[in-house]
Amino acid sequence: MAVKVVISGMGIVSSLGYDLETFWKNLIEGKSGVKKITLFDASACATQIAAEVCKEFEEYSKSLVKKRAAGQMTRVTRMCLVAAKQAVTLSALDFEKENKSRCAVIMGVVNTGNSSVEKDTSLQNTVFKSMTNSMPAWISLEYQLLGPSFAINTACASSAYAIAMGMQMIRNNMADIVITGGSDSIINPEEINGFNALYALSVANDPPEAASRPFTSKRDGFVIGEGAGVLILESEEHALKRGAPIHCELAGYALTSEGYNIMAPMRDGEGMAATMEKAITDSGIDKSEVDYINAHGTSTELNDRYETMAVKKVFGERAYRIPVSSSKSMIGHTIGAAGAIESIITVLSLKNNMLTPTINYTDPDPELDLDYVPNVCRQKEIHVALSNSFGFGGHNATLVFKKYPGI
Amino acid sequence: MAKITEKTRNEVREIVFAFFAEECEAELSKITDNTNIIRDLDGDSLMFLELIEIFKKKYNLDIELKTIGKYAVKHPVDTIGQLIEMQMLIIEHENRLLELDK
Repeated sequence: MAVKVVISGMGIVSSLGYDLETFWKNLIEGKSGVKKITLFDASACATQIAAEVCKEFEEYSKSLVKKRAAGQMTRVTRMCLVAAKQAVTLSALDFEKENKSRCAVIMGVVNTGNSSVEKDTSLQNTVFKSMTNSMPAWISLEYQLLGPSFAINTACASSAYAIAMGMQMIRNNMADIVITGGSDSIINPEEINGFNALYALSVANDPPEAASRPFTSKRDGFVIGEGAGVLILESEEHALKRGAPIHCELAGYALTSEGYNIMAPMRDGEGMAATMEKAITDSGIDKSEVDYINAHGTSTELNDRYETMAVKKVFGERAYRIPVSSSKSMIGHTIGAAGAIESIITVLSLKNNMLTPTINYTDPDPELDLDYVPNVCRQKEIHVALSNSFGFGGHNATLVFKKYPGI
Repeated sequence: MAKITEKTRNEVREIVFAFFAEECEAELSKITDNTNIIRDLDGDSLMFLELIEIFKKKYNLDIELKTIGKYAVKHPVDTIGQLIEMQMLIIEHENRLLELDK
């Protein structure tokens, strides 16, 4: 019998809050975390807006991260550790009662955050701050875990890949518990100028909160976000045995690559559709059971067009009856953390029977005609939800979440 | 070879204790010679090197890190007291530290 994998804990650091309750409240109120950039003087950049984690986070993190270790971490790594500690606390895990060699850590890491905006870096800490394995390493160190601990980089799909790999490790009986997710920030002049050179970012700087407008005719590129999302995965058997809080089931996944282009998605969403199809098959559900999709929804011309086409290709006429919303309209694109943060949103949607909106949906693109949950949240009983993540380089991931009985 | 005076010993102790209290956010009064640096204070191996740099500057020591590394392999340091004793030996013997094992 296949091993059922459940989610027993979650932690969040984002532009809309650094605790689950505040984060969720802001999401269902349709708030935007996008503002003028404050981390550095962006006046010379074409893009001057981003969804930054608020400054108060630094003070909050001091209660969870020791001073010396904090100095050896970037701000992005601190976000990761804070989200991990929240997730562990909420899952009521006591690692002293666990077989630590069967506790793994897998993080999606694209950038360590050791950019020109990182402050107070001594020469001695430069290496620690640049190590792409630093996030999983600090989590393993925090709890003295002895199982596999590593980072995965598949660009914007990184943390979705990390979650999928965590699930697979549990399915293969390689781990009892996997701490997984991601943390990222590219709010620095180097990355912004680089992405601007690719015409990938929105330059609709004013007003900032209206810039991320997925699926509309006015979309002009993604808005950078930052933050961390961490989930605790474990087998259902293990979770039940220790009396863990179960938020939902992670029912399946698919990881694919497009072999097509370093930046652009495959035409007509062929690769995206194939990924969703495979994930549905892997989860053992029927596609008629899918009742919500948390889209990759970047607010770029090609992603939104092709993702819409992909949903239609997979679900046919039923596509018009499946709500599809983009959290990036509110929190921006958190790159390596996006898969994890949006997974958390999907889990909360399942738990609360509430769909988060696509805000700034004021100028519909006549060619993109699905139900994007425009502007306001929607109460809806849902049982199965997909979360899509698609990365530069053609790295695709779809995760399938399923309501857990009794929740 | 420098002569270790009572004053030097006290200075070293004071610096080591204050360093760990500050870096590890520990109460100074709770740190003793028997305090385990990693287990009790959540310290790290880099702290040892940082202290060596402090003492190199303070006492103008002629000591290479590789010398200390070779000595430390044979004489591992776990506690504050052991670390203080090794710092004393480093100050006293500098680059001739390894001769102590002959």
